[in-house]
Amino acid sequence: MSCGSGDSSCEIPRRRGAFVMLGLMTAIFIALSIFSFLKSRGQAIPSTITENNYTATQGKRVFQAYNCMGCHTLVGNGAYLGPDLTEEYKLAGPAWLAAFLPSAAGWPTAAAVRTQLANPDMQAAAGVDTMEAYLQKFPGAAERIERRSGGTTNMPNLPFTQEEVGQLIAYLKYASAMNTEGWPAKIEVKADLNERLRMAHGPGAVLPVVAAAPAAAAAASGAAAAPADPAELGEQLAKDYGCIACHSAGTQKLVGPGWGGVYGSQVKLADGSQVLADDAYLAESIREPNAKIVDGYTAGVMPAYASLLKEDEVKAIVAYIASLHGQEKH
Amino acid sequence: MQIQYKTQRLSMRFFLLMLVLFAFQVLYGMILAAQQVDPTLLSGVLNFNVARAEHLNLGIMWIVCGFIGSILFVAPLLSKRELVAPWLVKFLFYAVIVIVVWNFFTQFLAERGIAGWWLGQPWLQQGLEYLEAGRIAGLLILVGFIIVAFVVLRTFPPVRQWNEVHWGLGLGFGALAVVWIFGLFYIQRLDLQEYFRWFVVHYWVEGVWEVIHISLIGTFLVLMFKADIKSVGFAVFWGITLVWLSGLIGNAHHYFWIGTPEFWQFWGSLFSALEPLPLVFCFWHIYLDAHTNKRPLENAPAFYFLLGSTVLELVGAGILGFVMTFALTNVWSHGTWVTAGHAHLALFGTFGMLGLAAAYYAIPIMRKVPRYDQRLGKLGFWLVFLSMLGMAFAFSIGGTVQIYVYRILGLDWFGGDIYRSMGVFKLMLPLFGVVFMAGALTVVYDLITLGQRVQTPTRFAASASIERLTGWRKPLTGFEAGIWLLGMWVFGSIITLGLLSFNLPRVRVEGDPTLPYLLAGVGYPGLLLVTMLFVWRFLASMEARMATADDPVTADDAMVPNLV
Repeated sequence: MSCGSGDSSCEIPRRRGAFVMLGLMTAIFIALSIFSFLKSRGQAIPSTITENNYTATQGKRVFQAYNCMGCHTLVGNGAYLGPDLTEEYKLAGPAWLAAFLPSAAGWPTAAAVRTQLANPDMQAAAGVDTMEAYLQKFPGAAERIERRSGGTTNMPNLPFTQEEVGQLIAYLKYASAMNTEGWPAKIEVKADLNERLRMAHGPGAVLPVVAAAPAAAAAASGAAAAPADPAELGEQLAKDYGCIACHSAGTQKLVGPGWGGVYGSQVKLADGSQVLADDAYLAESIREPNAKIVDGYTAGVMPAYASLLKEDEVKAIVAYIASLHGQEKH
Repeated sequence: MQIQYKTQRLSMRFFLLMLVLFAFQVLYGMILAAQQVDPTLLSGVLNFNVARAEHLNLGIMWIVCGFIGSILFVAPLLSKRELVAPWLVKFLFYAVIVIVVWNFFTQFLAERGIAGWWLGQPWLQQGLEYLEAGRIAGLLILVGFIIVAFVVLRTFPPVRQWNEVHWGLGLGFGALAVVWIFGLFYIQRLDLQEYFRWFVVHYWVEGVWEVIHISLIGTFLVLMFKADIKSVGFAVFWGITLVWLSGLIGNAHHYFWIGTPEFWQFWGSLFSALEPLPLVFCFWHIYLDAHTNKRPLENAPAFYFLLGSTVLELVGAGILGFVMTFALTNVWSHGTWVTAGHAHLALFGTFGMLGLAAAYYAIPIMRKVPRYDQRLGKLGFWLVFLSMLGMAFAFSIGGTVQIYVYRILGLDWFGGDIYRSMGVFKLMLPLFGVVFMAGALTVVYDLITLGQRVQTPTRFAASASIERLTGWRKPLTGFEAGIWLLGMWVFGSIITLGLLSFNLPRVRVEGDPTLPYLLAGVGYPGLLLVTMLFVWRFLASMEARMATADDPVTADDAMVPNLV
């Protein structure tokens, strides 16, 4: 020991040694960091990933602006109130997400997803053109529709615009495309859903399904269970097709205008003209929403239902809207 | 002890601000706990993500206020002169209030999706965990840190005269500002953004805050127990060195799954396994230094929180961090409640309790009430300490269930499947939360009104003699402290094995959760129980000194120990 004797201090050489070691560690760390972000690694980058003309780069800004990380995790980082979103796109696919995000407080129905999938752009994005193929390709969407459709979620409705929804989907597509070194770990339990539910909740566990699901299933299975009153049928249809995701029964604006008090009122259109919201106008707005755009709204937000709804179904929904007259307070 | 330099009094306002922010943070914690039970609560009014952003940011701000208060109090003692530019410190105080209020309100914009984009940067809020503050607040915070660093470094003596505590605090407060800069850029790539986000979060907590923590603990041990500055300095030096040498590459444990290459799993597992070393070191030193003199414990609440800070640093940050630091355990704990148990114990325990300890040490001196009524402070300590252990238990076991249901069985319906399995543990959060809130409000009330209430001075009764102290109250020996430490690590190892056991085919393929549940069910309660009993035992042995002391305060006691 050369230090510590006489006047010489141990502290100074000791500190010097520590700084040298720290420098060495820093050098290792910097080298590892450079290797991590080399192009040759082939990691997905957001500027190259698009979905329906929206890029993941735009989506990341939306994701941060709404502080999605404050409830969800992405690549496992964030909060643990809601599910991890890393593989959300891979699980549920773009059509399910497009049906879900505009009104996140409700689980989308099969009809609502089918409506999204009727759009050729969406078919191109999903890489499938039938609902059956879609559900096969995105098993998460199938399970969600089967177990939860029509029920309420724990997520609040957020004021996403149509662009923001598309951008978020592009961003989730990017996250799904990332190589995260095997996280989250692949599920290796070979049991089917019912068995896994029993494992989670005990042998006597009843398969938890949302209360609305049997009703929706009955409505889909045949006309026998369908209500005779057109307004009542319309209400059921509005639920099944996910209309209520964007239209409230009162005057509140969600994504589209509220339905309360619309029937029989004068509506101001984007071109400045006025039109009476009668049966014909409402039916046309359901079938071809872009034909007449209401002032303050954008064309192309609402999907066209012309090929999805039968004549009497459109009539029933119009009857339901008419029945909401005088319920403006809701 | 008395105030020697009048600028030390500037610390008072930061301690009081710290207490106010602490109370608000606990309130937001209560809201979050209730929302965990009922996620629709306040939905659309105060969404969970906003409440959480407030909870995190208020937490960071009050911890930083505690640091600032502490350094303002000790810097003149460490420099043997008044603080430079007291007007700057006064300005800083109002600036901190403005930043906190501004950031509090801008966080609500997340409900409308407004980030304030301009020049490619989010100026109002940026929706990144821990770094939710927008660029405006972020830049102002940087200015604040620069002011702190300037005041500290200009007040300190010339570098050649620095001892280890000067080095620790000088480096710590300097790095506080430098590290923050990495959070002030918008980054397009998710992997690169997470890479730099952990620069701030990890290097703050495990680089800067721990360095400040170790140095301040050392300083307060000198002040409270008249420990030798040289011996404390030795501990501070090795503490800081080990923190930096393990923590620098140890940051790699955040780079396992964010899209960075696999080799980080090796480096992260290796180096961050060493991260508890400095914490064991610090833990051991508080044992040694607290026993350097056998005088009565004059300021019990200050020492309670100082001990709590050191022990919870070892248990919450050290052991509960260690269990999930290996790629093979982290793959399961990552993104679950298990991490929240670690975070709560580590952040409140280590840094929160340090700020409270400093306030309990400094406020009675500044208010000239050395013999203040210590009962409320002790009660408050036990309430927050025990309920925080309880919350860590709820998070950890709830997280273990979450791993099984979510990651092993692959059920992903949070409302329908996962909440249902975690229900009991979700319910525990608001229950322990109420106790914590009671404790926090007790501490806040006690500290704010300290010296202004009718006092029942703590009595230093002269009844028992030291030989008669037996059992739980007998002096703690090094051997016994070592056994306690060993006990903590034994349970820590059981927890580690529990997380590892998720990799077994029996669990992962056959879906049998018995082994991980059993190990977690033994490990977590065991660890938290040993922690509780050890703190109880340590404090009982310290309290016993109080009962044996019969001599009044002498002139020697009133002297400030030499810190230079």
